[in-house]
Amino acid sequence: MAVIELKNINKTFGEGIGRVQVLDNVNFSADRGQLSLILGPSGSGKSTFLTIAGGLQTPSSGSVTVEGKRLGKLTSKDRDQLRLNKIGFVLQSYNLLPYLSVADQFVLVRKVKKTGNLPDAEFQRLLTELGIADLTKHFPDELSGGQNQRVAIARALYPNPEIVLADEPTAALDSDRVKVVGALLKQMAQNHHKAIVVVTHDLRLREFADHVYQLMDGKMIQEK
Amino acid sequence: MFLALREIKHEKVRYGLIIAMIVMISYLMFVLMGMMIGLANENKAAITTWQTQTVYLNKNANDNLSQSLITSDQLAGHRLNRHESLVGQAPVVLTKANGKADKQSAQFIGLDPKQAIAKENIPLASGRHAHHADELVVDQSLRAKGYRLSDRVRLNSTADDYRIVGFAKGAQLNVAPVVYGRLATWKTLRGVNQQVVASGIISNQLEGGHRFDKLARYTSQEFIQKLPGYAAQNNTFAFMIGFLMVISLIIIAVFLYILTMQKMPNYAVLRAQGIPARYLIATTIHQAVILMAAGICGGLLLTLLTTWLMPMTVALVLDWPLIALMVVVLIILGVLGAFLPVRMILKIDPVRALNG
Repeated sequence: MAVIELKNINKTFGEGIGRVQVLDNVNFSADRGQLSLILGPSGSGKSTFLTIAGGLQTPSSGSVTVEGKRLGKLTSKDRDQLRLNKIGFVLQSYNLLPYLSVADQFVLVRKVKKTGNLPDAEFQRLLTELGIADLTKHFPDELSGGQNQRVAIARALYPNPEIVLADEPTAALDSDRVKVVGALLKQMAQNHHKAIVVVTHDLRLREFADHVYQLMDGKMIQEK
Repeated sequence: MFLALREIKHEKVRYGLIIAMIVMISYLMFVLMGMMIGLANENKAAITTWQTQTVYLNKNANDNLSQSLITSDQLAGHRLNRHESLVGQAPVVLTKANGKADKQSAQFIGLDPKQAIAKENIPLASGRHAHHADELVVDQSLRAKGYRLSDRVRLNSTADDYRIVGFAKGAQLNVAPVVYGRLATWKTLRGVNQQVVASGIISNQLEGGHRFDKLARYTSQEFIQKLPGYAAQNNTFAFMIGFLMVISLIIIAVFLYILTMQKMPNYAVLRAQGIPARYLIATTIHQAVILMAAGICGGLLLTLLTTWLMPMTVALVLDWPLIALMVVVLIILGVLGAFLPVRMILKIDPVRALNG
């Protein structure tokens, strides 16, 4: 069974002549251990797709199911819990708090989610895999863009979510870094059995994806 | 608490400035309160040491002991009981007979040595009680002005010399040191005829019935409130302290509002990650409490330093139970100030996290 499934998703903004259909009957599903790539130019509805998949906003019609639970039937508090426990976000802006050291970014997760996080040994292995084990005392503004992105990936994986949703994770990275991050995401999907969904306009990530979708004018087409 | 402390630790200058602001406000409040209590004490200390419960004055005295004159006719048919004392009050200028000290304005209190106040209610800091008509007991603050035991002094421009035989504790009235002497001396100072017996009657018992029907009767609180300038002075200080409290509330609310606005993108990311709004609200409230507590501690330290450095003549009294109450009120105000940004946190749209 797919860990996340979006069925017949429509999303419109505005009314009357100003009405814009951002997503048009979108269907999508992802399984554990797979990296799905959703490509599309700016304004194609990628971010809207990601916010609906992550339960941050509701679709105009259609359903989103995460591990068999329909998000539309959950309360706002339950959706918070679901995001905390089942979904990890990797954002373009790295999702790191500027006033917390790398180590404290994970302490914050432990403060809020007291159980079910990666065990210490596995967490240390993850930091080593990502090449950030020596950076735990540093603050985000002391790290390069690539280092921040790797910390953000670790931060997303630390609560041990089933799904990782990544929004333009390679924006502002050079080609070498794109390859590193792409390989890492692929490795996370395979080694940690996560369903990783990446929305991007960066074609350089295609080679790492198990499934590739094109999102154009609100319509989604699977191409791989 | 974790996020609140980490952020304050990381943004030392920003939060340091806010704390400095609260230090100054709380310092000002504590000093004003200390002065309010100090001045109030200097107005009424003697009345308190007399253990005053009931006061009788002339009905036409406009509630003022120094303007009141009680005649023997008004007391006809009454005997004073063991709780009651005749008191004569007159403002005087005290000078050393040899002229070797500055003139001091004081309040002369004439007493009958056989009555309650003279016998029981003048606590001494040094020396002894007066046994003769030419002996005086004066407020101990006069020591700082150069007056010593056995000094010969004069009152106003009378030719008689008096000798200081004791220094009294808490002998202040109308923000002036008290000079205790005999009722006969008071009559001389006031230049009143033999029919006048005193300015008023002080009883250290709460007298329910109206014992002296030709006199006006006051409870201790009523009498103190009517001391010249006492209520106006206290109200002025109370208003200043109240305004400072409101200002501190506004400052903490505005600063936390601005800081929260700056952190909205971070909070949106945390909300997107499923961090509950209540955690972020608790962080904001903890931050308000930490800022207020740190600022108040700084204010208290400065206040203690001020009382230590301040000359004895400045009326500054720290009333710790009242300060503790004020600390609690200030922290509550800080928490109230945090409610403005709390509304913003509740309205955070986590979608903003993806829209940058």
